[in-house]
Amino acid sequence: MFQLPRGNPVKENLNPGKINLPEAFAKLHVGNFTGYLRFDATVGTGIVIFANGKLISSLFEEEGRQVVAYDALARIFNQALKGRATLNIFKLSADLAVSIHALLHGEMLYRAQDLNIIDIRGLLGKVKAERMTGCLRIYTADRTALIFYRDGDPLGFFHDGSTDIEMSADTSMSVARLPGAKVDVLSTSKAALDELTDLMESANLTELWIKTRDALAAQRRRAQEEQLQNSTQQNAQRKERLLTMLKETAGQRLGKVGASLVEKEFSKAVNGKLVFNEDDFENFFSQLSIGAKLVAGPSTVKEMVNDMRRGIKPFLHS
Amino acid sequence: MDWYIMQIMLWLIASLVSFYFSLGNARVWTSISIGFFLVLFAEVLPSALPFLPGTDIPHVEAMGYIVGTIAILVMSHGFQEYYVFSRTLEFEGSKTFVYLGVLGVIAGSVAFLLINPAPTPTTLRIIRIVGLTNWVFLSLINIDLIRKIYLNIKDTPIGKGFVAFIVVFASIFLWKGSELYLEVYDLVNLADSYPFRYQLSVIVSNLGNLAASISVGATFLYLARAMR
Repeated sequence: MFQLPRGNPVKENLNPGKINLPEAFAKLHVGNFTGYLRFDATVGTGIVIFANGKLISSLFEEEGRQVVAYDALARIFNQALKGRATLNIFKLSADLAVSIHALLHGEMLYRAQDLNIIDIRGLLGKVKAERMTGCLRIYTADRTALIFYRDGDPLGFFHDGSTDIEMSADTSMSVARLPGAKVDVLSTSKAALDELTDLMESANLTELWIKTRDALAAQRRRAQEEQLQNSTQQNAQRKERLLTMLKETAGQRLGKVGASLVEKEFSKAVNGKLVFNEDDFENFFSQLSIGAKLVAGPSTVKEMVNDMRRGIKPFLHS
Repeated sequence: MDWYIMQIMLWLIASLVSFYFSLGNARVWTSISIGFFLVLFAEVLPSALPFLPGTDIPHVEAMGYIVGTIAILVMSHGFQEYYVFSRTLEFEGSKTFVYLGVLGVIAGSVAFLLINPAPTPTTLRIIRIVGLTNWVFLSLINIDLIRKIYLNIKDTPIGKGFVAFIVVFASIFLWKGSELYLEVYDLVNLADSYPFRYQLSVIVSNLGNLAASISVGATFLYLARAMR
């Protein structure tokens, strides 16, 4: 999961399934929004970064795998439309937005190093010696701080509630002092900084949204049809088992005539139904008794019907 | 005990059992049991008790033969219905309709006799032969029909009752068949010329009659027990 500081929250805990995301993106575009949108879904996390109204970056991480650009947007749309995501929107400065974009597309050098164990001085010395451009991400379960470096020199700090790169190290260091704090070392992709394109200009997001929505609708229909088919099959099997039970009960008392009588009256009683209740069987028992009395006495018929009444209970729809 | 008295006692039991059976069971049994019940009045009483008042009146004698014919027709109709049920599991009608229908046919027969000249001995003999012919051939047909019914319902509680009905109709066939033989060849008047045939026919008729009355009573008692 991405560990990014929360920035300055604009909207929190929205249900993106209830928002037309291409339209929302268009409004952010018109409003020259700078910041990022974070989609937390059950299967993964999506980040969409805007800088001065341009959609410069999108990324979706799922089970340790990342997809970017349109593929990421498609996954974000998919999860949003499934209604299984929450959306948080944070405002940032343009520099910070671009830095985070570069960071997201950069390379992870060290992951989840425990700050109590790691030689932090040695690590910072290495960053300086190798003139690294990138970021140290210091985080706990609920707080995150970023320390940006350019050519080995610290640029500034970014932590929860910041909208810009700050020069004060206090907050970031306070995260580092928290129990269980960890650090990631990431190098920034220079190419990502050089090639900032607006994904909204190069792609029709509305079309992508509609396509995703239609695909999901088709998928839901298929699932419903399969469910219906399974349920129909199960009910048909249940009906067959019920008929077998009734035929066997009648067969024990009245022989094959009894089984045939059951078959005849059963088809009339359920009349093509797959789900039935006790009332459906009242006429069945009445007609079956009349027929059965041609080959057996009332007490035998009564015992048979009582056995059947007990036997059908597990098959009835309550 | 007098042979005829014993016959009448056995048929009385058989008829009462079959009539009682017709009241307490499904409609399709009504025709069968009413048919056997009518045998008592049509066939047995007039021949078993010839001294009953009125039995020498030609209309009464003719009516006895006609009711006998109605009896075998009604029970054959009942077995046909039962056979249809055993094949298709379909049945219809009501007990009241059967009772009223039988009464209607009897009333119609009475009316027919009353609007016609009094039956002569020849007419009575013809009516008797027609009746016996019906009994003989319908007994054979019923044996086959009951065999088929048995094959369809042999694993029911009353399956064996139909085997007993085969015995009943085989006895009736012997009883009525030998009487038909006596009538057709007029062996009663030719007994001196053909004593063996005459005696054999009379013995077979009496034994058939006895076996029929016992088997009918036993069959309905068995059925009544099986259908409790």
